[in-house]
Amino acid sequence: MGKTTLASAFALSCAMQGKKTLLIELNVKDRLNSLFGAVEVGTEIVELEQNLYGVNITPEAAMEEYGIMKLKLKMVYRAVFENRLVHSFLKIIPGLNELLMLGKSHYHATEVDDSGRYIWDMVVIDAPATGHGIFFLKIPSVITSIISAGPMFHDAKRIQEFLSDESLTAINLVTLPEDMPVNETLELQQVILDELKMPIGMLVANCVYSPAFAPEQMQRLLELDPGDVDKLDCDDHMKGFVRAARFRSQRVEMQREYIERLDANKQDAQLIQTSYHFAERFDFQTIRKLAIEVRAQLDPDFQPAQHEDAPLYDTATEELSASS
Amino acid sequence: MQARSQDFAALVKSRQVIVCVGSGGVGKTTTSAVIGLHAALEGKRVLVLTIDPAKRLANSLGIQAIGSDPSPIPLERFEEIGLSPKGTMHAMMLDMKHSFDSLVQQHAPDEDSKRNILQNKLYQYFSTSLAGTQEYAAAEKLYELYMQGDYDLIVLDTPPTSHALDFLEAPNRLVEAINSRAMQFLYKPGRASLLGVGTGYVIKTLSKFTGSELINELSGFLKAFSTLFKGFQERAAKVRELLTSDVSTFCVVTAPNAGNIDEALYFYEKLGGDHTRVGAFITNRVHPSWVPHEELAMPSMRISAALGDTMLMEGLDASEQKQFAKNIRNNASDFQVLADLDRESIQRLADKLPKELPILQVPYFSHDIHSLRGLNHVRKAIFQD
Repeated sequence: MGKTTLASAFALSCAMQGKKTLLIELNVKDRLNSLFGAVEVGTEIVELEQNLYGVNITPEAAMEEYGIMKLKLKMVYRAVFENRLVHSFLKIIPGLNELLMLGKSHYHATEVDDSGRYIWDMVVIDAPATGHGIFFLKIPSVITSIISAGPMFHDAKRIQEFLSDESLTAINLVTLPEDMPVNETLELQQVILDELKMPIGMLVANCVYSPAFAPEQMQRLLELDPGDVDKLDCDDHMKGFVRAARFRSQRVEMQREYIERLDANKQDAQLIQTSYHFAERFDFQTIRKLAIEVRAQLDPDFQPAQHEDAPLYDTATEELSASS
Repeated sequence: MQARSQDFAALVKSRQVIVCVGSGGVGKTTTSAVIGLHAALEGKRVLVLTIDPAKRLANSLGIQAIGSDPSPIPLERFEEIGLSPKGTMHAMMLDMKHSFDSLVQQHAPDEDSKRNILQNKLYQYFSTSLAGTQEYAAAEKLYELYMQGDYDLIVLDTPPTSHALDFLEAPNRLVEAINSRAMQFLYKPGRASLLGVGTGYVIKTLSKFTGSELINELSGFLKAFSTLFKGFQERAAKVRELLTSDVSTFCVVTAPNAGNIDEALYFYEKLGGDHTRVGAFITNRVHPSWVPHEELAMPSMRISAALGDTMLMEGLDASEQKQFAKNIRNNASDFQVLADLDRESIQRLADKLPKELPILQVPYFSHDIHSLRGLNHVRKAIFQD
């Protein structure tokens, strides 16, 4: 679906607007260093770009930080948390890892400096995929329904309130304009709104093919059926060209239908479309293009400094539709 | 390609259980259905067991919904697209919560422990999300259906776990995790004294964080759950025996981008890294190479000259034809980049696998596969029929 890519692009687009932004990975093999050409992103915050910082939160590091914060003394932390018994005990408490990672993210999102101002203008989290993602977001409410007192209860409650507050949080869903991903995303949207009661910000249709053909050309391509292509009075290489062109047009047409479906079902979310890249691998330039694309749809007045994108197809350009 | 398809067809014919593994989003469910379709056409009584709740599979098989009992695919669905299977095809969706509850029903020694487990809050929330429980439930169901003997072939579409090994070892791991010393401490407190002084203080400090409720719930859960162990352990050994015997084989399903290929190789290694367990690799969504490289450099004039008189460009003037031709050429170049990348990835995969292991390729189609007709296209691509 491109979750990490989109999270990175969105974070970069915030940084480009001058917001001090923290991009959080959750206990995954670091991908940010290849996307931003930066140093390895570990459990310490590192600078990725101007205004943009990254960190990889692991349950172990989060637990140590949390334990020391609560117990005040490192020695006491060691005595308690590094006890072998406690250690293996903590490993099997269901949901504890997720709560710790959420807790650390929440800590950064609400961190203030001496004058009481937020340290981070924006915190972007690359959350786990659908199934595990729901489990992840559900953890605070599960904890508060099992226990009713103690620091863990209060922390879980604070996190839950933060996640449900639409002035502070937005859950962004990334999908592909294809059958199964769209169904799954619309189901996920329903669960987030109805069960988790959390606000949704963007619905991102990723990997949208630029049309490559003018509407009239596309029409002609779509009207050919495979039998017609076989019968064309030309050599096999030419037929190959036509088959590739038909393929593109059919995919573009299909994607358009799924984007319409997302648009019709997006409820309060903003539908964003991001382009497919016919590229070898994702590097910083691709992320930057995506960031500009996202920002231009979120903020119609946005003017990127140097926008050198090629036209979508030859001789005519079409504006990307930003729906609201 | 022909030879590989024959090898794969022979493999499908010789097995009673085929487990499709792979990361999420690579087309595992579709591939499972296609293998099932092939075997049903060949005369087998087939069951496709899926964990994917998406209605897509049901739709593509032409039925309303797939329930947690096997539902037959009506013969007329096949006839509509000109197929006449010699065998039968059933599909069922594994409801994880339901499966796990019935495991508890089955293995709990008495009514009290049954009730204690099913009513425990932790169990209710986590029975389907504890490490390994999904895989355990799926493996268990597979075993049960296999033993009932109603089907010649069961195709299992596995949960999208990140580790194929989890699936094979989940039963043991689940038992081991709960049986660990730390866990035992909670439900057999008497043993704790063996672990040394200070433990009481440590647990007390810990419960200051978690609240004593959580510790109580947890120990209640473990105490009740531990009564299931004997049944679990016996069953786990049998499931493992089935999955590692000649009756079963694993198919690794993947897609040709670098990340998916890496994961597929990882699965392969975890499954033993040889031909004995993994029977085939299936690579979905391979971009076809429509136009050879040397042709992509041709001037668009030649394209408009060649296609100008065909129905595609009928009635366009010279400059319109030229623009159309230019777009056609650029589009073919776009896709050739992807075709090259896919070919390199698949070569990389092939280099790391034994030669006799079939790698089958399914092209990227212009439409999503969500009908029996679509499944049949994929079947033809895999089995070269």
